[in-house]
Amino acid sequence: MAVIEAAHLSKRFGKKVLAVDDVSFTIQPGTITGFLGPNGAGKTTTLRMLVDLVRPSGGTVRILGSRYSDLARPPTRVGALLDASGFHPGRSGVNALRVVATSAGIPYDRVDAALEMVELEGAARRAVKGYSTGMKQRLALAAALLGDPEVLLLDEPANGLDPEGVRWLRTFLRARAAEGRTVLVSSHVLAEVEQTVDDILIISRGKLLAHGPISELTRTAQPVVRVRSPQAKTLEGLLVARGAAVNRLGDALAIRGPSSAAVGEIAHTGGVVLHELLTEQPSLEDLFMQIAGTRKEA
Amino acid sequence: MIALLRAESLKLRSTRTALGMGIAAGLVTVLPAILLIAFLPKDTLSGDETRTILTAGSSLVTYILLVFGILGMTGEYRHGTITYTYLATPRRGRVIVVKLVVYALVGCLAMLLALLLANLIGVIGLPIRGVRFAAPDGAAIADSARQIVTAGLITAFGVALGALLRAQVVTVAGTLIWALMVEPLIVAFKPHIGAWLPFNVFSQVISLPIGGAEGGAVEGLSHPEAFLVSIGYIAAVSVLAVFISMRRDVT
Repeated sequence: MAVIEAAHLSKRFGKKVLAVDDVSFTIQPGTITGFLGPNGAGKTTTLRMLVDLVRPSGGTVRILGSRYSDLARPPTRVGALLDASGFHPGRSGVNALRVVATSAGIPYDRVDAALEMVELEGAARRAVKGYSTGMKQRLALAAALLGDPEVLLLDEPANGLDPEGVRWLRTFLRARAAEGRTVLVSSHVLAEVEQTVDDILIISRGKLLAHGPISELTRTAQPVVRVRSPQAKTLEGLLVARGAAVNRLGDALAIRGPSSAAVGEIAHTGGVVLHELLTEQPSLEDLFMQIAGTRKEA
Repeated sequence: MIALLRAESLKLRSTRTALGMGIAAGLVTVLPAILLIAFLPKDTLSGDETRTILTAGSSLVTYILLVFGILGMTGEYRHGTITYTYLATPRRGRVIVVKLVVYALVGCLAMLLALLLANLIGVIGLPIRGVRFAAPDGAAIADSARQIVTAGLITAFGVALGALLRAQVVTVAGTLIWALMVEPLIVAFKPHIGAWLPFNVFSQVISLPIGGAEGGAVEGLSHPEAFLVSIGYIAAVSVLAVFISMRRDVT
């Protein structure tokens, strides 16, 4: 059974803004799914609809088989990080978590455990207003983990984390998935989640563009041929004339369309010297740009 | 519900807002009582008005509690804690009802302490001026009880207004302007209408006469009537707030 099921979900704010437009997807248990898209794509609105903070204008959503608000003691089933700034600045970190724990009937020893998990025990008794952005993010993650939930919904959890924190988050998410938990994690920084997720949902301008295992989606995507040449501009002209999509940065070209053999032959015919020629499997970012670009053209 | 009551109580104890409001209420209780005992003629102090003089600051305490109630609810939106509140308790009506109950109790307790403090100032200050402190009689105790109940009602009303309007500054400023300027003007010119307006209804739980512009008092509501209408106001605003909050997006 799918852990999360969204069917024809849409959300309109006022008459002009269609934030989410007929989005349908399912999330299977024990997977980490990256919810990807640029800022303003509709990721946060969709996540908030999953936990009944935002009312859908259309469609339905079920999480663990029912609506979030129909779950018994919901934070013990679904943990959500949606707003890292959602703590009273004058309240200590530990008390902020105790308030949530008390409301949800979660014992206080889980507060200590969650603080330990996010490595925030040392600052737990300090007021939240003295926390850095990264510390607030960890506190929000601790709040999501309080009820030891089987599903985690994380909205941009790497925001404000330093590189060490991002690496820690990656390990942390992998460990949760290894325990059989389901994680839906949104991000606008594609490289950040590339090494972490099993499946991806790509959303742009409120529309779901792609959904599936990351390995499958990247395999079907066009590879990128990378070239370095002292005559990069000349080669760019030759390739564009043959219908290739080319991005040039100094003496480096990223080419989509022709194979590396074809690029080598075009360079040879045109008398262009090459210093480097290689084929790369597309990154998540390449994949996103391809999918988003294709839809825009359509 | 018990868990929610405990959580609400922890919210109050874990920030300095309640402490700050308590200190403010203490100051507006103590300072007028001390100044009046120090500077009023001895004859005035020993007359029938002694108790009124001692509790001169209690109306200000009521307004502090009104603001306290508004801050209790609007603060959830201002600081974004409403997200965690509704994630932990998606039944939004319960959140508002529990807040109303907790803040009403805190309002009652705060007024009880303010009145005890005012009497303590009398016990200490009056003999210094050579005036005997008379223990409150039955009527005075009944007045105090009504003041305590009214404080609870007004604090709860603040919560209900905050839940309905959400915007902190607008709610605090708008409510104080209404209570301190608009209602008194309506009472002055149209006392029969003014008698039914919320803050005048609350004040009639304590004291009966409603003053008109001509200086005469018009017949208002009895204490029980005023109490019931007060409950009606709180219930109406709360039901509206719950109805709207269930349809509001928390973004």
